[in-house]
Amino acid sequence: MTAFRTHLEFLRKTDDCCSLERPDSPSLQVIASEALRADGPTVRLGTADDRVDLVSGVYGGVDQLRRQVQYPWTRLGIGLGVDRDAAYVDVLETITDLGDRVDERDVTYVERAATATDRTVRALGFPTPPGETWPHLTLGLLSVGTDDGTYWTPIHGTVIDQNTIRARVPEAITDRFTHDDAVTVALGVPSEALAATHLLTNTDRLSTPIEDRGVGSTVPVIPTAGGVVPSSSEVVLEATVAATQPDTRSEKRAFWERLVDATTLTLEVSSVFARDDAVVPFTPLGVPLADDLQLAALTLAARLYDRVNSYWGVSPVEWLLLPAAGRLGICIVSTEVLYAGFEWQLSNFLFSLADCFDTVVLVDEHASPRDLGQVLGDIWVKAHPARDWLFSGSDAPVARLPTYSRDGTGARLYVDATWDPRWDEEYIAPRVSLAESYPPTLRAAIRGSWADFGFDADPDDVL
Amino acid sequence: MAVGSFREFLGTLADEDALARITDEVSWDLEASAITMLANETDDRIPIFETVQSQSLETAARLVGDPYRGPQRRPWQRFARAFDLPTDSGPAYYEGVIDRLSEPIEPRVVSDGEAPCKEVVRTGSEASLLEFPWPYIHQGDGGRYATLATLVAPDSDSEWGSWSRHRAMIHDDSQASLLFLAGEQVPNRYYFEYERDDEPMPVALTLGAGPAIESTAEVWIPVGKSEVSFAGGLRESPVDLVDCETNELRVPASAEIVIEGHVLPGERLDEGPFGDYFGYMNGPRRSMPVLEVDAITHRERPYVPFCVEGSGVGYGENSTSTFAVAAGGPDATLGLRAAGFDVELAVPWPFSSRTVWVIATDRPYPGSLHELANFIFTTWGMLHIDFFVFVDSDVNPLNPRAVVEAIALHADPDTDFHQFGVERMPKVPLNIYQTPDEKGSAAVGTSKTKTAKAYIDACADGTRPAQSIGDRDAREQARDLLSQAGIPESAFEPSHTIGSNQ
Repeated sequence: MTAFRTHLEFLRKTDDCCSLERPDSPSLQVIASEALRADGPTVRLGTADDRVDLVSGVYGGVDQLRRQVQYPWTRLGIGLGVDRDAAYVDVLETITDLGDRVDERDVTYVERAATATDRTVRALGFPTPPGETWPHLTLGLLSVGTDDGTYWTPIHGTVIDQNTIRARVPEAITDRFTHDDAVTVALGVPSEALAATHLLTNTDRLSTPIEDRGVGSTVPVIPTAGGVVPSSSEVVLEATVAATQPDTRSEKRAFWERLVDATTLTLEVSSVFARDDAVVPFTPLGVPLADDLQLAALTLAARLYDRVNSYWGVSPVEWLLLPAAGRLGICIVSTEVLYAGFEWQLSNFLFSLADCFDTVVLVDEHASPRDLGQVLGDIWVKAHPARDWLFSGSDAPVARLPTYSRDGTGARLYVDATWDPRWDEEYIAPRVSLAESYPPTLRAAIRGSWADFGFDADPDDVL
Repeated sequence: MAVGSFREFLGTLADEDALARITDEVSWDLEASAITMLANETDDRIPIFETVQSQSLETAARLVGDPYRGPQRRPWQRFARAFDLPTDSGPAYYEGVIDRLSEPIEPRVVSDGEAPCKEVVRTGSEASLLEFPWPYIHQGDGGRYATLATLVAPDSDSEWGSWSRHRAMIHDDSQASLLFLAGEQVPNRYYFEYERDDEPMPVALTLGAGPAIESTAEVWIPVGKSEVSFAGGLRESPVDLVDCETNELRVPASAEIVIEGHVLPGERLDEGPFGDYFGYMNGPRRSMPVLEVDAITHRERPYVPFCVEGSGVGYGENSTSTFAVAAGGPDATLGLRAAGFDVELAVPWPFSSRTVWVIATDRPYPGSLHELANFIFTTWGMLHIDFFVFVDSDVNPLNPRAVVEAIALHADPDTDFHQFGVERMPKVPLNIYQTPDEKGSAAVGTSKTKTAKAYIDACADGTRPAQSIGDRDAREQARDLLSQAGIPESAFEPSHTIGSNQ
């Protein structure tokens, strides 16, 4: 388990976190949005007063539409403790394990790192988006304690006054409490906790207490008024659910709300706990490459990858990617084509598991998830325009994420950009690449002389 | 002021510290191309190989690996600098090129004494292709290649002849096979005029003719026009031409090398396989027309520019992919506007040069996209292009994220994907999605089997997702702060929409 502040320290050590003094203007969400769109590093906005430090891009950025040394899963992979240069599938499998049901509870209780403070929620200094009145809190975790255990979901919302939060939570969690019940909001939680909440929400698996999931034995916790929360949380807010609920809400939506139904909740905060020099993640909502989008993309990909491979009982799928640039409207899957018609079966299986995208692209098992540029080339180069673009009839439920308007039903498309399994090996054109076009001894010699030749780039990025 | 010659272009690269002059001895046999491919993939400097093994000491030619390659995020940037056009904004560069192409300038003919390409002149048996260190580019290639060559051919419709790009596979000191694909302008003239009349076609293969000339060899020119006048417009000064030694053609006077010869009617030599612009080794070997050498003229210690084909797909850029974006795109935009279509930008998809184009356009009337696609598929795009993606007129096709988002969110599989019949259209045999049998080895070079073409309407019918928050001043303030924190200014380009800083 990696505490949030330790996660940030790892990002700093890998030169993926820059620091700024928190300015009065522009809005911090504008700064975060511009940094994400530039594929920039994580941005930490520090302050010397009582407000918390804020950091954006901890889970976001990196669209893979140009060559990078980082990937959309790099920052989360570091937070999950997978590796600093994590294999994509390792990150997916780690996320999946967090949501697995465990046979026996094995929960570790550790003293809370955040201490009581007399600051109000308003005084913590969450950022206010441009053109809005109230500060936003995002990338939070809602904890609800019951006799059976604790349930966690994602939460975001606005700070209405000193101690009132108007929040958005998955509708499914509201079965666990009634008015005046206690709940707890945790901010700056370990990646395992945040990823698990997104995974369980996206997969409609909020019915089992967190203590019975893999994340329960991974993340040390501490009891609070509203159930257990990660002990290392930067900020913990104990609250009660207000008796009356608002009849209006902000139009801003976190990305998980595009995948599940959500509801509005008013919380009256009774106690504020914060660590010394607390630092809290935040993300602008609705912009490209935002943290909430990447969390949704990675957790949904983890679920689909697991379901597909579990279904066949072998592992025909090498990897599965929902590019953030496509805002989950397209799904790319790398696989060996096991038998004739397999590509049809696999694509339609994916359509049956997720309703957010209308297009599936199949690429060969040798394609790398790190080389999305090559994948985006292969879509057009390897798929025959007449034979490999396959459309369904228009009587499927319309996909959630695409913007076109239809009356409830829509079509599906899969693009088969794999080699035809009926082809003889001699028909398969070899790739032009450093690895395939030049002998190893020559590549090694060039690597050795690279800097002496006058080049600056790191050849290991591609060799 | 725009640069004229290839050497001036190398000077602009040197000025921006974009050259790596390698003095260590390097082999033409895979080594120079491997170094070039690695430089292409890592977006590093352009390599110049000053000393090439096994070369003729008398000629002492130098190799230059993918000199026209642009930076991966701004492929047009070095051409913009060479042509003295806006470097920061892709759409602004496009408009600059379009303006220049709209005002062609006729060339002037100079004497041999004024022509650097005549510094060394060899004719007849003294002219040998093997004097030059033609690179062997990929393992498995059919031979050594001249890949960055502009072919000058006769054109009865224009005074100055026709220029186009065709690779040549070197066979011996006096012969090379030329990739002549039927459907292209010069090959059509050869196959359907010269060869039918059993006449040799005089040609001149030029290397290192400079960015303006090489650019216009890439673009589509209407019948009756000549590439050389558009090259003059592009550089805002007339191109100097000089007479060939052995035929009636005129060639760029500043060229590094000019190979004069004739294409032999009815004769063929093997061509390929070759690692081609699709990013795959393309086979099988096919028979292609033969260039018989009559004379070679060149500059002292000439530069031999070459392109490592196949490295311009995915994330990498090379000369071919840069030509497509920096020359082919503006030319196509101009051509479509001239044909009456309301097009903002036409740009090749950056991850697979030539096969897919993205066009930002309005839809002035129902069916206009179909009409536009049909126009291109049946004219200049018929062989190489399989797909068009149409996006809203204010969406920047030079921004890949904008295009991926448009396809993912706005293209309805039921109503927005359109195929032109089923397998009724011509195709180059270089593609890889057809089997070798479908590609065939037809003498004139098109696929034996026809293919399909398609277009995708990825224009938004309703609201597009936000790309930013905050007003312009706030965003600029944010960028200033982020720049101070170490994020380079170039990271914020290209913009999602045309004509804004969004």
